[in-house]
Amino acid sequence: MEGILFPRGVVEGREGLTEYRARGGYQALAKALEADPEDTVKEVSAAGLRGRGGAGFPTAKKWAFTREAPDQPRYLVMNGGEDEPGSKKDRLLMENLPHLVIEGVIVSAYAIGAAKAYLYINANYEAALKSMTDALAEAKDAGYWGQTILGSKFSLDIEITPAPHNYVAGEDTAVLEVIEGKKPLPRQKPPFPVTVGLFGKPTSINNVETLANVAPILLHGSDWYRKFGTAESPGTMIFSLNDDVNRPGIYELPFGTPLRYLIEECGGGMKGGGKIKAIMPAAPSSAFLPPDKIDTPLDHNSMREAGSALGCGVVHLIGEETCIVEEVLKISEFFTVESCGQCPACRMETNTLTSLLKKVQQGQGGQPLLEQFGKVIAFNKGKGFCNLIAMPGPPIESALKLFPADFAAHLATGKCPAN
Amino acid sequence: MKRLCLICQNVDCKNRGSEQLMAELQKRVEARALADDVEVKSYMCFGACQEGPNVVLYPEKNWYAGVKVEDLDEITDHLAGGPHVQRLDTIDPSLKELIYQLLDTGVF
Repeated sequence: MEGILFPRGVVEGREGLTEYRARGGYQALAKALEADPEDTVKEVSAAGLRGRGGAGFPTAKKWAFTREAPDQPRYLVMNGGEDEPGSKKDRLLMENLPHLVIEGVIVSAYAIGAAKAYLYINANYEAALKSMTDALAEAKDAGYWGQTILGSKFSLDIEITPAPHNYVAGEDTAVLEVIEGKKPLPRQKPPFPVTVGLFGKPTSINNVETLANVAPILLHGSDWYRKFGTAESPGTMIFSLNDDVNRPGIYELPFGTPLRYLIEECGGGMKGGGKIKAIMPAAPSSAFLPPDKIDTPLDHNSMREAGSALGCGVVHLIGEETCIVEEVLKISEFFTVESCGQCPACRMETNTLTSLLKKVQQGQGGQPLLEQFGKVIAFNKGKGFCNLIAMPGPPIESALKLFPADFAAHLATGKCPAN
Repeated sequence: MKRLCLICQNVDCKNRGSEQLMAELQKRVEARALADDVEVKSYMCFGACQEGPNVVLYPEKNWYAGVKVEDLDEITDHLAGGPHVQRLDTIDPSLKELIYQLLDTGVF
């Protein structure tokens, strides 16, 4: 299937500067620099580009907020923390298509009027760090960043910051803290980074995949871009499939492609040919979908209407033989461990949910135990500095709704029905 | 089952002295020969850190907030059958209900 980021399918191996130029590389930058920065914002707005880090926020809107903030200097931050379990898309982009990403960074920095861009890259991604470091040197030698880029008045400095690899370190404001030399702890919002961000200055923080979409939009135009995807989610998205399918990997698909196509045609179906019990479209924090929702289109609105979310595209399948109680306990324990601990409500919620699930797992209680989950989640709704507090809720509440028999079996026997 | 005297030991409450509070309360419970009836026990978090340290008596369901060492004699009196310490009873009823239900389901 034709893609935007990978026009001939996911490439194996790194694309160097010569190869990238041969397919139009850095022409989007030249084109952008010939026009006003606002024109780039307008084109990306017309294309309807939405953030690929999970929230799906309109990129041009984020840029406009940053541009319009009165304070100077402004910063662009590329978020390549990628700490979602099972997500490999940003790593692959940085390893194999570093110039596509870097061109996106430079054009985006021009759009918001940034003086400096920071590339925040997961420190575990050694190959990605090397690929991006090498590509930055190549691009600088070619005059694509530095002083007076391509003879224009625009100058940009770029620096790489290795990112710690715990979950919260990928949260936008925790990213800013790390770049400032501090611990990866999310900040209270508001103020939002678009007005008070890095070093207190207006900052646009964009995901790697989001930035990789910018050069193709500028080069080919928003009308071309909108030929992919749906009206509200234009373009393509990279989905990550893991070893619960026959062909794990990453797949670039137009938004709106049925989930079934990703699972069956790309992934080759459930590993071992087993039956699907549940689908988690945005692991590990989305609601489970029952198997009859397998034809749901992969776009933000459709997934929301189906009762789940698209997130950053890590699709996880639960096999029929798997007990959902054990699954959600693993998820709950993950968030308990990954909660940074600075917000009391988050500590209370994540710990309590895990305690409740362990009680269920061991059959220590009855129906009243199950009624506590919703109350604890509701009590903590909207609290905390970051969104982690909202993450265990959808998996747990959807599991309770869709698979009450698994919970009942644990409560009745203290044993897992799957074993 | 012994009656429980639960003291939150999460980060905020520890910063407000809940470890010392727990040790001091344990001493008083022993000094008043209540230890056979009352267990002083740490609790992960009652979700009321801003009003901590918190002490919850269970199963009688009394919640004392913002407890200081100088309040412990009155709380010990209460454990020994004395009056409820009204001035420390400041927690929102909806939070009390949530936590009491959790305790009723055995989440300690």
